Amino acid sequence: MSSDREDIFRARDDPGAFAAVFDKYSALVHRYVARRVDAQVADDVMSETFLVAFERRASFDGSEDARPWLLGIATNLIKKHARLEAKAWKGLVAADLGEVRLDAIDEANARLDATATAKRIGAALRRLPAGDRDALLLYAWGDLNYEGVAVALNIPVGTVRSRLNRARRKLRIAIDPGAARDEEVEHERGLAPASDS
Amino acid sequence: MNEVSLLRQIRSDAPEPEREAVDQARAALFERIHADAIPGARSVPAKRHRRARWAGLGVLGAGALTVALVATNLLGVGDWRGGADPAAANALNQAALASIDTSDPALLPGQYLLVESNSVYGNTTQVDDGEYVSYLTLNRDKLYVPADQSDEWIWERGARVPYQSFNAEGEALAQREYAAAGQTGETLRAPNAEFYGNSVIPDFEALPKDPQQLLDYIYKTTEGQGISADWMALLWITEALRTGVTPADVRANLYLAVAGIPGVEITEQTANLDGQTGIAIGRYESKDDSRQDIIIDPDTGTLIGERRIDYSGDWGYPANTVRSFTAIKTSVVDSAPGGGTQNGHLDGEGCTDLGSGAFQC
Repeated sequence: MSSDREDIFRARDDPGAFAAVFDKYSALVHRYVARRVDAQVADDVMSETFLVAFERRASFDGSEDARPWLLGIATNLIKKHARLEAKAWKGLVAADLGEVRLDAIDEANARLDATATAKRIGAALRRLPAGDRDALLLYAWGDLNYEGVAVALNIPVGTVRSRLNRARRKLRIAIDPGAARDEEVEHERGLAPASDS
Repeated sequence: MNEVSLLRQIRSDAPEPEREAVDQARAALFERIHADAIPGARSVPAKRHRRARWAGLGVLGAGALTVALVATNLLGVGDWRGGADPAAANALNQAALASIDTSDPALLPGQYLLVESNSVYGNTTQVDDGEYVSYLTLNRDKLYVPADQSDEWIWERGARVPYQSFNAEGEALAQREYAAAGQTGETLRAPNAEFYGNSVIPDFEALPKDPQQLLDYIYKTTEGQGISADWMALLWITEALRTGVTPADVRANLYLAVAGIPGVEITEQTANLDGQTGIAIGRYESKDDSRQDIIIDPDTGTLIGERRIDYSGDWGYPANTVRSFTAIKTSVVDSAPGGGTQNGHLDGEGCTDLGSGAFQC
């Protein structure tokens, strides 16, 4: 099986080779967008992502893994649907949390019902600065590592680290309000993440 | 469980994209890729949820090419009425791309492109009691296309022989008519394929290079003909393709034009035609209760052939009969048979060429 780099480089001279990239990653891009907004927007963004990627194939950086590049394009395209995404976060319900939510809530010692937790998580994600939310969701849902998120968002890895730390802290507090106090203590000890670069 | 683990559970049951959405997106991408290969073609991303709005314009489907055609329509060019089913549009886009990629075989001086075609046609007779009796006949032809097409082409036309009948009466009729015709086949030879006084090959160079303009041209050319405009457009394209000598770029554009015809769909993923297999793409015509397919090798974009399936059970054919087909094979050969004249057996019978394809015998 050819690598992403080979496929994309080959597509510079042989455009048809780009079909392999679509076949490999269309479902992944769709899923990422569907989770952030909805399936309908995901249909459009999936399509547009690969058109944009094809247009920009000459500027692909030559990585072995095309996922950061593609998810970065998709993330940019999602911005056009910011209002729908905000609505989707607002509509986050208990059923969205998945099967293990109750255990997780128990572990977090929040002992609040799943509906309230879902609302708080949705609100937290909605209120996150867009850049922080992008970094967090590329990391959690795009399965990218720090370097991958950096490529996707075209920012330094250090910035990824600070954005992720900040976003995770806010999410932690949303899940377990008691964590806020711990965070404050941590901050006082000077263990808080470095500021955004 | 930390917050990231919990986050990973959220909406983790998001469904896979629907097949239709993937097909449309893929088709849009292929359209864009195709535009890269053929200057002048256009593409815009697939927009599924806008279909409802397009429906107001009388849209029947939304493949990639058809999406591209929307843009054209909104600009006021052409009379866009929809297009092929998305999966068919996708397959046609791929076939178009494959045609470009595969390109035409290069012929050295003295070599020929050999187009072997097996054509089956229906023959119907009304017998004494008013019933119709039908049978099928087969023609095996070999067309030798010279490297320089202004040189002599050679066309070996096989005798028309009985191929299939559907009852004893039909079989007897087939044998009787075959014996009466006394056909032996013929060989023709003419520069520029001008057999019987006229070129049998369309002027492909004169066709519009843009798939949308090509389809517009076909609709205009065939206006008022056939059972319906869409049926006739597909038939026109089928006739052009089945010559077996369409250049790769023209073939690609013809495939893309098919994608713009409403009602076109994939009719069989793996269709067998005279021993060759490919994807069948066609259109059902309710006015005739029949379907016209073209069958394409999806790997090379080569036309394997075409067929017409009759569902009606009328005219002496059982329902669901392949009422006609043409299967095509092309290869490169180093020589062509000798002999033959421009007008074949008409010359042998001492007929006078009156010009424009007319003869007096």
